[in-house]
Amino acid sequence: MSDEISESSVEDLSNRALNSFENAKNLEELETVRVAFLGRKGEVTQILRSIASLPQEIRPRIGKKINDLKIELSALYEKKAEELQSESEGEGGFLLDPTLPGRSGFEGGLHVLHLVLKEIKEIFYGMGYSLAEGPDVELDYYNFEALNFPPDHPSRDLQDTFYLTKDILLRTQTSPVQVRYMEKHKPPLRIIAPGRVYRNETPDPSHSAEFLQMEGLYVDKNVSLADLRSDVSHFVKSYFGDDASVRFRPHYFPFTEPSAEVDMTCFACKGKGCSICQKTGWIEIMGAGMVHPSVFKYAGYDPDEYTGFAFGMGIDRIAMLKYGIDDIRRFLTNDIRFLRQFWGFSS
Amino acid sequence: MKVSINWLKRYVVIEEDALTLAKDLTMFGLNVEEVIEQQPRFKGVVFGKVLEVSRHPSADKLSVCKVEAGGPEPLNIICGAPNVAEGQSVPVAIHGASLPGGLKIKRSKIRGIVSEGMICSEVELGIGDDSSGIMVLDFETKPGTPLEEVLGSKDTILDIEVTPNRPDQLSHFGVAREIAAMYKRGLKLPETISLDDLSDFDLAIDDKDDCPRYTAAFIDNVNIAPSPKWMQELLISVGMKPINNIVDITNFILMELGQPLHAFDRDRLEGDKIRVRRAEKGEKIVTLDEVERELDKEILVIADASKPVAIAGVMGGIDTEVTGSTKRVLLESALFERRLIRRARKKFRLETEASYRFEREGDIGITKFALERAAYLVREMQAGECDSRCRDLITSKESLKERKVPLRVKQVNRLMGTHLDANDIAEILGRLEFKAEPSKLKVDVLVPSFRRDIDAEVDLIEEVARVYGYENIGKDEEKRTNIFSKRNQDERRNEAICDFLTMRGFAEVVTSSFVDSNDLEKLGWSSDDRRMNALRISNPLTEAQSLLRTSLLPGLVNVAKRNLSAEAEGLKIFEMGKVFIKKDVEDGLPDEELHLTALMSGNSAPLQWFEKPRKFDIYDLKGEIESLFKFIGMNEDITMQTHTERPGILRYLMDGNGIVEAGIMHRSVLKRFDLEEDILFFDMCLDELPKAAISTKKFSQIIQYPSVKRDLCLVVDEGVYFEDIKRLIVQEAKHLDSITPFDYYHDGNLGEGKKSYTVRLTFRSEKGTLESGRVGAIIEKLLEELRNRLHVKLRS
Repeated sequence: MSDEISESSVEDLSNRALNSFENAKNLEELETVRVAFLGRKGEVTQILRSIASLPQEIRPRIGKKINDLKIELSALYEKKAEELQSESEGEGGFLLDPTLPGRSGFEGGLHVLHLVLKEIKEIFYGMGYSLAEGPDVELDYYNFEALNFPPDHPSRDLQDTFYLTKDILLRTQTSPVQVRYMEKHKPPLRIIAPGRVYRNETPDPSHSAEFLQMEGLYVDKNVSLADLRSDVSHFVKSYFGDDASVRFRPHYFPFTEPSAEVDMTCFACKGKGCSICQKTGWIEIMGAGMVHPSVFKYAGYDPDEYTGFAFGMGIDRIAMLKYGIDDIRRFLTNDIRFLRQFWGFSS
Repeated sequence: MKVSINWLKRYVVIEEDALTLAKDLTMFGLNVEEVIEQQPRFKGVVFGKVLEVSRHPSADKLSVCKVEAGGPEPLNIICGAPNVAEGQSVPVAIHGASLPGGLKIKRSKIRGIVSEGMICSEVELGIGDDSSGIMVLDFETKPGTPLEEVLGSKDTILDIEVTPNRPDQLSHFGVAREIAAMYKRGLKLPETISLDDLSDFDLAIDDKDDCPRYTAAFIDNVNIAPSPKWMQELLISVGMKPINNIVDITNFILMELGQPLHAFDRDRLEGDKIRVRRAEKGEKIVTLDEVERELDKEILVIADASKPVAIAGVMGGIDTEVTGSTKRVLLESALFERRLIRRARKKFRLETEASYRFEREGDIGITKFALERAAYLVREMQAGECDSRCRDLITSKESLKERKVPLRVKQVNRLMGTHLDANDIAEILGRLEFKAEPSKLKVDVLVPSFRRDIDAEVDLIEEVARVYGYENIGKDEEKRTNIFSKRNQDERRNEAICDFLTMRGFAEVVTSSFVDSNDLEKLGWSSDDRRMNALRISNPLTEAQSLLRTSLLPGLVNVAKRNLSAEAEGLKIFEMGKVFIKKDVEDGLPDEELHLTALMSGNSAPLQWFEKPRKFDIYDLKGEIESLFKFIGMNEDITMQTHTERPGILRYLMDGNGIVEAGIMHRSVLKRFDLEEDILFFDMCLDELPKAAISTKKFSQIIQYPSVKRDLCLVVDEGVYFEDIKRLIVQEAKHLDSITPFDYYHDGNLGEGKKSYTVRLTFRSEKGTLESGRVGAIIEKLLEELRNRLHVKLRS
């Protein structure tokens, strides 16, 4: 066999081997080629083993050639293997297309009413308010009587009421939480009470029979209208931006006196007057006032010792203003195409 | 309430334009909801100068005038007025003009001579009640100048929201009084003729509490006719219909002073008497709207000798109505107990201008004054002869007295955050017609009778604050308090749960608190299920909204239905909200439980390229529940059961109590809801989550030694659950770190009634690396236990 080895036969082997490695189409073929040339019984390996038996005069040259060939083929194999490896990457041997969308599942998010409520609550928590809660199904006593709505008084007509029995109703406002909370706590106190309220009204784009309201109450010695203005103004600037200002208009609520309706600068026209604010430049956002002494009496507080303020705002209304939503009835309809518009972070 | 600015100007000077007035009133507490500009009442009327007046050749009472009215030539106008004279400035309606009442002016021949327009009187322009001659203008301008603007015939109507505590603002005079106080201007009282309580008319009030005051005036030789134009215009401007002079006077005074009057045809009052009494059961009356109404003891009526002739304070009867043939009128001006009026209004569903005012408590001081005003108008309008004697019966003399309310200066400043003194306060209250006597520390205040809303000190403070201006309070005060917020832990947990679910792809929804009884039926709960026993609203909006929800499920199913039919291929939604559970305590409030209910339906993921769509199944549902449990730290001590009565429904139990109900809705339920896709749901009561289960986290040491993993293929009988195998392994295997199933199947090759689980066991010790031989021994022992106790075999 040794006599068959010559420079030309090594040259020939070199060409065949390089071609075979170069033409391997996949990892399997490459492996076969590797075994055929570089394997334990491969051609290159066999020649290497028989170098010692070659005639003296050609041994060094053949030896060097075959050694160089082995190094070259080994490097070529590594390179080829890497190429084929990356080509076959991907499931089932697909070609990589980096422009296809990545994997994802359904997206979710909070309901826009709760999103708004959460943001508003955060602001009041930051101001020192704590959470209070009360029932939706409420006694006439807490919803009306203890809030200074006399029986058979026209002020009760301000709110059309759902009744379960003569004395039990669906709360028309979150204000009953005021008396419930004060019965169990001593001043100073500073609370917010969000919750669902009910009005027996035929729904239309701006009226719903059920909506979210949030009550605020602050009682201490010497709380004044000036404090009310300061807190409300801070809230409005925090939520709607520093250029929003508020104004207080005298109004009537049985359970506060003095009472006010609070307007803020129209965010759409910045106070210039537009169709949203009916050309006034102002938008009503809440009712407020100083807690009426009769309410304190129902709660067991001495009105000569304590004063306090209360306010209430409609969360649905604020959400509608903030996002320009056209119809209050959308909130309870829960069309996903509506809900998803408000998901994700927003300032 | 609609008020006319022109009407207001009868009592107070108003220099401001309508928008400014509206804004100022709003900030003064009279919220102007709308400012309505009325169209000018005439068009094409211009300023003219009378150049020449001569007698009409063929009519004694007519003049032929040459009037300069802006055209190239003076106009030729025939005029019938006695006062027309050369040199006068006059309003001229030229060809094409239109006047109130629809009159169009055209060039025409009058007795043979062409008239090219008309010189107008106040009445013809609708701006006054002088019809005796043409209107002579007291100013000069260029002939031909249009007069629509100049003559101020335009009116603006303000729609004011009057709060229920201020019935005194339900009239033009009442609003004018506020304007006078606001701008510090004088207030002009309407003109009256005084009447004396000298009549011997037979008037009786059965119960003095029902009617504190009843005053009657008497008009003879009544001459029923239309009322003058100016009055008609004013009534029309605030939405009232002119009828005849007597009725219009009562309506005018209603709108002017806020006191409702009623006119009876006196000749039709049987026995010529008035009795204020409760109706007898079974008595009937046909009211002015021609409806017969059945009365009862709770209804206050005005009666004559034999029968009711009016429902007091609400509406008169048709039998005693003033008609074209009426000769004698009795005018009623009274005050009735407001609760009775409210009752009658609600019973008959009959809200009138009168009932609206009486319900809000009228002014006892005004009844006679209103009749004195009527007497003046009757004389001015020649509607009859008003007797100077009236009958004025006051059953409660006490309430005529002005009430005295003390006001502490300190309290004013304490509530308002201001630094006013007694004189400032007295000045402010004086502007509102309170008699205020300042001393050092307090102000003694006498409340006028029309301010029924003022009872206590705080009522006065509101008045002070309002006039002082809310906008002037607390301008530069920045007060801080030392009350700090305390977060509610349940609220924090619930918000965290909502956030967690949204991150897992759930959309939060908010549904109605009302539920349709049909939907409850469709869910197929047994009739003794507490959720079938919902609370009922006695006056619901619709029958479908008459029950309070006992479960969030019906609402969610309807949301799913709406969205799946709209476009969504798959849906993950949840709601956190209250349900209302009846309690047995009589007349008590129900239990309000906070529930978390989630629902999944349709495809388990949006359509994607790397995997085929598949439907949500029970393991998706379990996965959501388990990860939620893990999130709130309840991954231990929970067992799962299938509901014995309702296959397909799972219950998660903690300490034996069901804390979650979950499952796939039964086909029959889907059918009743007309749904095609499966609905998977879970429902948990958040109030029942034990507080202890909420994780308080604590650090534990991380084991540094490597773990040893062993995979086992186990073959078991069909009756054995993974849970059984797991429990045994956890019990028996030493150093076990975790057990994870990663294959599950059954087919014929395993043998009849067999199935196979492949599980990976991970072992770990905190003392050192576990040797392979040691783990092998543990596995050997484990397999023996599995074989003995559960007949588990190793798959070869």
